[in-house]
Amino acid sequence: SQHKAQGRKQTPGRAPIEALVMEMQDPNAGIKMQTQRLVITAIPHAMTGSDILAWLMNRLQISDEEAQNLGNQVVQHGYIYPLQEPKNLLLRPDGSLYRFQTPYFWPTQHWPAEETDYAIYLAKKNIRKKGILEDYEKENYNALNKKINHKWDFIVMQAKEQYRAGKERKKGDRFVFECQERAYWLVHRPPVSNFQELNSISEEFSLIIFNQQSLMRSRVKSSVSLGGIVKYSEQYLKHDPIMSGCLPSNPWLTDDTKFWELNMPLVETPTKLRVERWTFNFRELIRDPRGRQDFQLFLRKEFSGENLGFWEACEDLKYGDQSKVKEKAEEVYKTFLAPGARRWINIDGKTMDITVKGLQNPHRYVLDAAQTHIYMLMKKDSYGRYMKSPIFKETMNKAIVPEVTKFTFSKRYWKSSPSPVILRQQEEEAKAKAATNAPMDITQLCKYTAPVSHLAVYTGICEPTSPTSPTLCEFPPSSPGLVTLPNSAACPSPISVAIESTPSSKRKLEASNSVASTHIPSIAEATEVSVSSNSSTTAVEEARQPLQKSRMALSFSRFLKRGCSNSPVFATLSPKCPSVNSSRVQPLDGDQQQVTQTKSKKITNFFQIKVDIPSECRIYPIDSEDEEEDGPNVAKSTEKEVICPWENLAEGKAG
Amino acid sequence: MGKEECRALLEALNKVAACYRHLVVTIGGTSDSQNLREELKKTRKKAQDLAVANRNKLTVFLKDKTISKDDRVEYERLWVIFTTCMEILEVDMRKALEMGQEFQLNAPKRNLIQTGMSGGTTGVAARAMSAQNMKYEADSNIDVVDLKDLENEINQVGEMMMEMEMKVNVPNWTVEAKQDPGAELQSTISVGASSVGMISLNEQNKSVCDITRLLAGIIFTAVLIIAVVLAVLVIQLS
Repeated sequence: SQHKAQGRKQTPGRAPIEALVMEMQDPNAGIKMQTQRLVITAIPHAMTGSDILAWLMNRLQISDEEAQNLGNQVVQHGYIYPLQEPKNLLLRPDGSLYRFQTPYFWPTQHWPAEETDYAIYLAKKNIRKKGILEDYEKENYNALNKKINHKWDFIVMQAKEQYRAGKERKKGDRFVFECQERAYWLVHRPPVSNFQELNSISEEFSLIIFNQQSLMRSRVKSSVSLGGIVKYSEQYLKHDPIMSGCLPSNPWLTDDTKFWELNMPLVETPTKLRVERWTFNFRELIRDPRGRQDFQLFLRKEFSGENLGFWEACEDLKYGDQSKVKEKAEEVYKTFLAPGARRWINIDGKTMDITVKGLQNPHRYVLDAAQTHIYMLMKKDSYGRYMKSPIFKETMNKAIVPEVTKFTFSKRYWKSSPSPVILRQQEEEAKAKAATNAPMDITQLCKYTAPVSHLAVYTGICEPTSPTSPTLCEFPPSSPGLVTLPNSAACPSPISVAIESTPSSKRKLEASNSVASTHIPSIAEATEVSVSSNSSTTAVEEARQPLQKSRMALSFSRFLKRGCSNSPVFATLSPKCPSVNSSRVQPLDGDQQQVTQTKSKKITNFFQIKVDIPSECRIYPIDSEDEEEDGPNVAKSTEKEVICPWENLAEGKAG
Repeated sequence: MGKEECRALLEALNKVAACYRHLVVTIGGTSDSQNLREELKKTRKKAQDLAVANRNKLTVFLKDKTISKDDRVEYERLWVIFTTCMEILEVDMRKALEMGQEFQLNAPKRNLIQTGMSGGTTGVAARAMSAQNMKYEADSNIDVVDLKDLENEINQVGEMMMEMEMKVNVPNWTVEAKQDPGAELQSTISVGASSVGMISLNEQNKSVCDITRLLAGIIFTAVLIIAVVLAVLVIQLS
């Protein structure tokens, strides 16, 4: 509404042009005034263009051209208006007459030229000219009449009154007022050029369309929508990890990543909560890959598996690689839609027609109609039966409720993962290897463990020359020809290693141990590198190998002292003692040559969880021993932190 | 009838608003004077009084649930006219404040803009006040003194309009104008259906003019007749 304009603050400096205009009024130093002679009256305060220009040049000490530009600006903004050619908003450098505009009509930002005012002006002009308006004015008039029709009665009233009130003024002033108004509206509502018209029309048009669409939107009572929100919240309360906690535990708090493992997309046994969600509505079921899997099983039994297959194919088309749209669409047609297709879906003739037609120009959403049809079919028909089916019941029964993680404060492990870059590389290498080598049993579990019993196995392939393993770079030089690892490429290590982070002292040992056991490949490589110097690409790496090996020796000696499951790696594990390890550990040096020979190429190491470890292995608390021993070795072992940059970080913090 | 009353009040407000606009346009130009500022003040006050009266009257009817549907439509139409008029008034008041601060008449270096206007605005003000003559009784620095009042009144008007917007729920877009495009070309009364009882100032003026003309005609004829009679008598006597 108009009255939303803010009151004007007393701004000290008005627009510079205004100050200039004020100066022009000066009876002594201002512009020379003349009288405009009209038929009936004479009106004072007229100026010639040339006088104005001369004044500008003199006052501002600017050139002819600059003054002309400035003068044009002054006229175009409406501070001065031409008397003889009102529509020509330029300052002519000749005897054409101009007059100052009254301050009311000066351009301001606070009060833009309003439609209501313009309508009143046009109505007044209509009265004065007895209906003869210019074409563009007529257009504007009619447009405004439609646009602000609800104000029209007022506009007519006010126009008439303003016209009558004007008659109370003397004739000359009345004439001047009319000129002022006309000048103002010529500035603010100029006779529109086609281009501008188009712009404004398209703007108006899009506004109209937007508003029409808004009107068509279905509206819901707030009571209904609020009820919906409440119902939703109640239903999902149990499922919200923030509100209701999550089992076994929040990984971010306890560092136990079991929660994520148990809720993987295609996990074997889903959790009870998850299965419960499938019962909420069809959407939940179909959005969950595991749910879909179960549902597919059911559908197969009912011989309608093609429906879900089709739906999935549609999703793939929508969200998949768009460069393959054509092929995918063809594939879908051949498999699902063509008469006599292998997995023909049952949709009505009309939808089929539309779809087939659309497939001639395939795009992302060409199958939408058919997909919706099939979706609704499944939802209304199969979903209900699935909920009552024995398949679902079985899944529900098998669904697990994880136990709460035992969180003990003494074992506050700090965790972080290895760089995803490394992980990805290693994954890719593993895949490549798996493709080429004899299939090895790869078990890769999550690297993060909690203080809880959890076996993690680290798989990876370490290339001797992989430049990205930052850990290798961190090996300070050590004497060559050092420890080999108890594990060689030839046979998978029986050691299962969990990489855990430990508090300071623990961490060091742990680190070194894990360095020893988990990152054996890299160590081995390191060993290899030092031995066969030509395989190393970076001098740094080379330099660092020796020291690393010395550390290896130290760590292994410690390792040996402890006997079996001293490593905190096995701390909470069942007594799976690496006594086997110890036996392996001994021929450390002896194995070295073997190791280095076998590791002349890429090294693949796979670790498996060994089950048959003697039970009499004790689990030693690590800390005390650590603290005793770690005197001079602390620093070194910290530096030695190998492929686990996080451990470096942690140690850096702790140390 | 309630509707007639409301229409009359609205007409009055409309008239005052139109006059106020004329006066405000003159600020800062060569017709500006202390008198003008006083006229502005008085016109403004009158406008405010009329605004309050209008609001009170209209809200009574709009809150009345017992009025007929047609009546309600009419009152809503009047309400929209009223609010639009107030909008115009408020903007003009704000502009008057800004320009009043800018163009203070007694300031030493302040030159009025040479707009080409030379006459006064007394007639306009008198029309607004529905008075025959304007009396000027203010001090010679009213242009400054009045500014504070003006500011307060602007705030008052602003508040009143806010209150109106909140309390009275009349959707603007549902109101349809009774006037067709070009209705201003007819000289009938502007508000709604013409009613015999309504006498606009113009008509009054017209009738007054007619009467005076008639009177003048009669007197002239009478004088003529007397002159003729006297001449005849003189001739007869002589």
